Amino acid sequence: MIISVENLVKKYGDYTALDGLNFTVEHGDIFGFLGPNGAGKTTTIRILTAIIKADSGNVLIEGHNVFKEPLEVKKITNAFPESNGYYEWMTAREYLGFFANLYGEKTSKQDIYELLEVVGLHGKEEHLIRSFSRGMKQRLGIVRALVNKPKLLFLDEPTNGLDPKGRRDIHDLLINLNRKHGTTIFLSTHLLDDVERLCNRIAIINYGKIVRAGELDRMKGKGTIEDIFFLSTKEGTL
Amino acid sequence: MKTAYIMQKEIRESILTPKGFLWYIITSMILSALSYLFLTNSELSLLDQGQMLYRIMNFITALGVLMGLVFGADAFAGEIERGTLEALFLSPVDKGEIALGKLGAVLTNWGIIFAISLPYLFVVGKGEQNLLIGIAYLAILGTFLAIIFSAFSMGLSARIKSMKNSLIISFFVFLLAGAPIFLSAAQRRTWFGRILDFINPFAGAINTFDNVVIDSQGFSYQAGRVAIICGYLLLSLWFLKRSVSRLEM
Repeated sequence: MIISVENLVKKYGDYTALDGLNFTVEHGDIFGFLGPNGAGKTTTIRILTAIIKADSGNVLIEGHNVFKEPLEVKKITNAFPESNGYYEWMTAREYLGFFANLYGEKTSKQDIYELLEVVGLHGKEEHLIRSFSRGMKQRLGIVRALVNKPKLLFLDEPTNGLDPKGRRDIHDLLINLNRKHGTTIFLSTHLLDDVERLCNRIAIINYGKIVRAGELDRMKGKGTIEDIFFLSTKEGTL
Repeated sequence: MKTAYIMQKEIRESILTPKGFLWYIITSMILSALSYLFLTNSELSLLDQGQMLYRIMNFITALGVLMGLVFGADAFAGEIERGTLEALFLSPVDKGEIALGKLGAVLTNWGIIFAISLPYLFVVGKGEQNLLIGIAYLAILGTFLAIIFSAFSMGLSARIKSMKNSLIISFFVFLLAGAPIFLSAAQRRTWFGRILDFINPFAGAINTFDNVVIDSQGFSYQAGRVAIICGYLLLSLWFLKRSVSRLEM
């Protein structure tokens, strides 16, 4: 397995964000991570990407302990956070080049042009990010998360704010990444049709606990994904 | 190497911008006005050259400290507010390296201010016997102060994660640190003035400039103050390291 999470607990003062979380993700999965607002999805991703520490529990990413070997974990993973900001004064090429340098990747102009082409941003390489629309920035952020060719990619609401064509492009990109390059994808989203189209396994989190997990096809035998979601979270809102 | 990439990014973001250039133009204009007044004003021109040099050195130091505080306040809190820090933290770069890159950019800013001020120092202090030693003290102590105050401000910015609050506290600290400049000689001889002088690295630096440039004292007389400034230097770097290592999104 590429992710193993055991009894993960995270508290913010008196508030328990994660309350003994347990789940695993296998190599090659597109793993859907669902839950209502405030369920603990973003906190989980931040812990798994070694940005924040948990109060207790154990997390292994490709055999590396996230808390003891954060830099090793960061080398093989990358993420597109929900509230991704941009250095708006940079061009798209400079932005990707900057992050490629931080990962120690030798990325040529051509590599960057190819990356941008994948998400339909070709021809925009030398444009300032401040001139980009929200959807364009979203795509650039996703490309940023690919600069180190991660084995494991975390995406937090990656298709929010995209038009149908943009969403379709991102879907195709993720499927391509997963099938051609074997990238494992951890997808946190509110959009259930994203989950239906992309994921082979899912976990539903509510109040910091996994309330349901398994293969999507098997679960769908018991109803629609929407039914499963509402039954699992009861009060969950999308 | 990764520190160098962060530093380069910071320099482009904060220094090589129209706003950054405006700061330097304003610095240059104020220094021009001060120098002109020292050399032509009927009352100010009566000051001996050591006094003029000392006052200009104080101004340059204060400016370096002020800009270091402003840059420092933005360092982490500004990136959190703009949503850019998370992507930076996702990369395999140690938080300490990120802080070091940002600190390097602040020091570059101080280096530019110092370079801009050199011609003015030479004009105002022309013929003054302690000119070169004064400039050397300004270069060393000014750099120490730039590190102390910017590291403090950056640490604060990492802890309170609000640029506005970091700036307010930093300005308060600046006023406190700069208080000796505003006190008269008599006020500085009171218990309050003496304590302020003793514990304040900024006061330590300007008193050192006074002793070196005006009173022509040697290093042995300054060693105590310089040691205290070095102590603050280590303390501020420790504070920055600790604050950044605890920083979470």
